[in-house]
Amino acid sequence: MITEEQTKKEEIQPVVKVSNLVTQFFTYKGIVKALDGVSFEIRPGEILGLVGESGCGKSVTATSIMDLIPDPPGRIISGEIYIDGFNTLADLNRQAKIIIKSETNVKVKRNKRYIKRHNFIMSHIRGNKISMIFQEPSLSMNPVMRIGDQIMEAILLHSKIEIADSIIRRETMTDEDIRKFYEDAVKTKTHLDLRGFVHKWSQDYGVAEAEDGIIEIIERNDQNAIQELKNIVAEQKTNIKLKYIQLEREYERYNNLLFDLNLQLMEAESKNDSLKINELREQIKRTQAYIRSKFSGYRLIKRFIGKRIEEPFRREARRRALELLKLVNIAGPDRVINSYPHELSGGMLQRSMIAMALSSNPKILIADEPTTALDVTTQAQILDIMKDLNRVTKTSILFITHDLAVIAEMCHRVAVMYAGNIVEEAPVKEIFKNPKHPYTVGLLKAIPRPDVKVNKFEKLESIKGSVPNLINPPSGCRFNPRCPFKMDICEREKPKLVDIGGGHKVACFLFENADGSRKEVE
Amino acid sequence: MELRYFIIRRILLLIPTLIGLTLLTFILVRALPTSLLLSQYVNPHSTLPRSVQIAHAKALLGLNYPVPVQYFFYLSALFHGEWGFMVSNFYTGPVLTGIEEFFPNTLQLTIFAVILSIIISIPLGTYIGSRPNSVADHAGRIFSLAVYAMPAFVLALVLQIVLGRGAITGNPLGVFPISGTFNYALVPFPVPSWLTSPNTSALVSHPTHLIIFDALIHHNYAIAYSGLLHIVLPVITLTLGILAGIVRFLRAGMMDNMRQEYVKTARAKGVPENVIIKRHIRKNALIPTVTVLGLLFASLLGGVVLIEDVFDYPGMGLLGINAITSYSIYGVMGVTLVFGLVLVFANLIVDVVYAFLDPRIRY
Amino acid sequence: MAEVEAFKIRRKEEKKRSARMEDFLFTLKLIFHNRIAFAGLVITLAYFIIAIIDYADPRWLGVSNLSDALAFLHGKAYYPSATLVTPPTLAHGWYYWLGTTEYGIPILPDMLAALKVDLTLSVEIVLSGALIGLILGTVSAYYGGLIDEAMMRITDIFFSIPALILALAIAFIIGLTFTNIALAFIIVWWPIYARLGRSLTLSIKNMNFIEAANAAGSSSARNIFYHVIPGVLSPLFVQFSLDIGTVVQLFAALEFLGVVPVDPFLPELGRMMVWGETYLIYGKWWAVIIPAIFLMIFTISVSLLGDGLRDVLDPRQRR
Ligand SMILES: Nc1ncnc2c1ncn2[C@@H]1O[C@H](COP(=O)(O)OP(=O)(O)OP(=O)(O)O)[C@@H](O)[C@H]1O
Ligand code: SF4
Ligand SMILES: [Mg+2]
Repeated sequence: MITEEQTKKEEIQPVVKVSNLVTQFFTYKGIVKALDGVSFEIRPGEILGLVGESGCGKSVTATSIMDLIPDPPGRIISGEIYIDGFNTLADLNRQAKIIIKSETNVKVKRNKRYIKRHNFIMSHIRGNKISMIFQEPSLSMNPVMRIGDQIMEAILLHSKIEIADSIIRRETMTDEDIRKFYEDAVKTKTHLDLRGFVHKWSQDYGVAEAEDGIIEIIERNDQNAIQELKNIVAEQKTNIKLKYIQLEREYERYNNLLFDLNLQLMEAESKNDSLKINELREQIKRTQAYIRSKFSGYRLIKRFIGKRIEEPFRREARRRALELLKLVNIAGPDRVINSYPHELSGGMLQRSMIAMALSSNPKILIADEPTTALDVTTQAQILDIMKDLNRVTKTSILFITHDLAVIAEMCHRVAVMYAGNIVEEAPVKEIFKNPKHPYTVGLLKAIPRPDVKVNKFEKLESIKGSVPNLINPPSGCRFNPRCPFKMDICEREKPKLVDIGGGHKVACFLFENADGSRKEVE
Repeated sequence: MELRYFIIRRILLLIPTLIGLTLLTFILVRALPTSLLLSQYVNPHSTLPRSVQIAHAKALLGLNYPVPVQYFFYLSALFHGEWGFMVSNFYTGPVLTGIEEFFPNTLQLTIFAVILSIIISIPLGTYIGSRPNSVADHAGRIFSLAVYAMPAFVLALVLQIVLGRGAITGNPLGVFPISGTFNYALVPFPVPSWLTSPNTSALVSHPTHLIIFDALIHHNYAIAYSGLLHIVLPVITLTLGILAGIVRFLRAGMMDNMRQEYVKTARAKGVPENVIIKRHIRKNALIPTVTVLGLLFASLLGGVVLIEDVFDYPGMGLLGINAITSYSIYGVMGVTLVFGLVLVFANLIVDVVYAFLDPRIRY
Repeated sequence: MAEVEAFKIRRKEEKKRSARMEDFLFTLKLIFHNRIAFAGLVITLAYFIIAIIDYADPRWLGVSNLSDALAFLHGKAYYPSATLVTPPTLAHGWYYWLGTTEYGIPILPDMLAALKVDLTLSVEIVLSGALIGLILGTVSAYYGGLIDEAMMRITDIFFSIPALILALAIAFIIGLTFTNIALAFIIVWWPIYARLGRSLTLSIKNMNFIEAANAAGSSSARNIFYHVIPGVLSPLFVQFSLDIGTVVQLFAALEFLGVVPVDPFLPELGRMMVWGETYLIYGKWWAVIIPAIFLMIFTISVSLLGDGLRDVLDPRQRR
């Protein structure tokens, strides 16, 4: 749990910080102003809930963060999204010029070079620092690929260097190493210590498949234990030349270097540091040329024996995939890993999705209504898994739902969305005890409560009207046509999200003066 | 493996189709007057007297029995290789022997055309399908549509004029022969045994009957090369004819799959765009494309008839056309049946490939 | 209960009707936006308008029937040298812009007049085939069971022989005349539509509004006509537009093979190309190439239109 003190600490850097995000869709019917200046942040280890009616822009917010908005028709117009401290939208204006002639006539002039660079950068961030799981698990898995292959794909994309290191260590392991390991292992006191020690070692040396065998040998502790250990390690070795593993590792390393350089370049560009820009550009060019010259031969070889080179990597990735599947408590992971999506239930698929999302220890996981398509018992299990993961791995979660009961159970903080705006944001207890925004109040009233007897129709009426059309949204506060407390100013101006104390923020003129200063709350 | 059971079931499903196919040809044949059926069974070169032959045909076709029973006589005659007789200035003799002689030539054309069109269309369809509404997309679509919309025989004629040897004198591009299967002048004088047919005087190669392959087997590279040159133009024409179909379906499939949720998942994993297209989208897009391959193959077989006519290529198409123009009922029947069989087996292969690509349907 | 349902459905239908008009306008707008589909639409319409003009008064275009053709052969319009005139020839009026055939028949008006014959033929064939197929496919899918199974097997048989070859075989049996070949084409064509109609009906049958309509007590026949057929019509229309071009081509192919007796004075694109072919070898390409391109443009346009329609009518593509 996040304590009050922790929330107060200013120096904690948020894992994701979104500010003034504007995303629009240019359709033949007009411009859908789906997000209208959304700001929030997610702190390390926290579960942030995002609630709101259907169509209010929750999914658009999530997909904007992941940069998965389908283009055309959609584009992020402005804003900043910091993922792990880096603004992924820094070169937004360079990527495309948007010329709006009229509502239905919008020209987008894309700059291929910047978009390409952006995609390159995002493909290193996505699935690595930030992962996402979706609402419909059955549609979200590639129907013609085995589950295992899909999880392995994610692993191989982001952990190749790590895997290569462990393989190289294994292949170059000397008898001396094994003896040393054995002596250290025997020194451990308890069975649990031994397990932990062996686990770490076998991970490092890429022999994790034989972990159980190693433990058994050490516990038996007879004379030829070292010889047995040597044998069992030798069994794990592959017959592929070490040179190829090293090359594969190098290739990956240079790609990562390119990624880093591009990040630096983007930062320099946003600071307009022309000296640095030129230097970095030069460096990127050199690196690219180097990669081209050094690896062209290797890539040709890979065309022919690529499968064999990949083999040891795939074996390790497969082992990790199995481990991940066990982590999400799936029944029969050995069967699941070889199954196609259509052979599994929705719950199992969603677990596999979570396993896939966790494959490279992301800093943050975005879950867009992960349980809506599932039955009630499975829902509860999936929620439990996510909660456990958050507790154990300290992965932050952005949890999107329109089920307030789930929010109450899962989240630390809540942001309430309405028609493309965040209207209220507060710690979860505060929202339920002390809702401020008229929309939140209505939303909470709409929850059926066993203690209050309400007419079926009355419940629906608690917020009258429906979600506005986002092509011509109401001016000022977008909630004003439905708001029982509407004032004159509400049609003219847009309320800002202001802090009313205790981390509770509201965007409503009932709590804000026109000049932006905070009204005293009674 | 489930795939095996799928294949077995699919092969069993061939039985009703084959019954239907023979039934249809039977109905076609029976729609003609009986006297015609009998008289065309007669082999004019046979030493047996005509009346004996007709009596034999009558017994063979079971004409004394009711029509439904005659179908079984017809089937039995087919199984015994009694496919009737045809007389035309292209080929005269037993229909089955003619088919044996000319079918391999047609097979040779279609094999090359199918392979070539798949090799070209899949990368092309992937490329333009992943860039909808780009310049490449429009150009690729218009080009493939243009060759599809050009009547096949006109396309063949144009190719003959532009690339055909001797069509226009002094044409530097004219390097490809425009008729026949290979240059007969290359046949060595005592005609080698692999080039002679036991029952006709025609040049029929052994053992595969496919002249290019047989020549290669017997190390006669001159004939193989000549055979290859001869099929270049027909194969190009046939390929262009079905190219557009594959490209179009692949493109539609690519665009369709591009919007699917699983692509979003792949992007969310950080898969680079080119890998998404090749590994994820294309594999899914090929599934609907494969289903239309059967239909396209049917149109390819239709095109073969035209192409063989234009290029004077002695195959099934030319046999069929000559059977029609010389009113040879059994010739028409035989050619229809064989084309039907080829299509049925092509569809079988298509279905197996389909099941191989799509795990969802093999249950 | 049923009354409430019926009321709901009536309300829904009323809403749908006004929505349909809006939908139609939106569709039009989308087609205008899709420039390529729009070009296809314009060219296709132009071809049909030419054919219709020819129906209204053949004299506006030129050769349209035997007597007109003879008039060209022996009358005033007869081109002086009577050989193939090379296009473009601007001297003798628009008739001769695209040159002439061997008898001095000018290609341009001949081609325009041919549209009447060719389009009528192909619309007749595809329309009859589509009608038969639509009815059989829809009905068999709607009732399901044995009827459906039998229908599937029958179409299977038709699909197991290449269309061109089956049409040839059928025409051979019933006699090789112009009309019989058209008939053979219809026989070959309907299974495509039966399949299409069937699959569409099945997908629509599974939608719940039919169940709701059944609950509201509407009869089966009413169901077919009010719900099923409108639902399948638009995809069928796409297929229809694609087939129109194919039929003209196949017909020309048969004429080329020499199995259709061609009326030498019937303006018809296939006949023009077949005749023109003889002169190709002498480098006189226009008599065959120009009609071929004329036909090609038509086929491309209808295909583009069909593709565009599919894109526009596909609800997933509407954004
Ligand atoms: N591809 C798109 N094209 C046009 N408009 C879109 C597109 N995607 C989303 N929108 C619009 O953006 C708005 C927000 O949609 P979004 O999917 O984010 O809603 P949501 O809050 O996730 O709703 P739900 O709870 O139903 O998932 C909607 O008004 C929708 O019409
Ligand atoms: S700003 Fe005005 S309209 Fe909006 S919620 Fe507050 S009171 Fe209502
Ligand atoms: Mg959503």
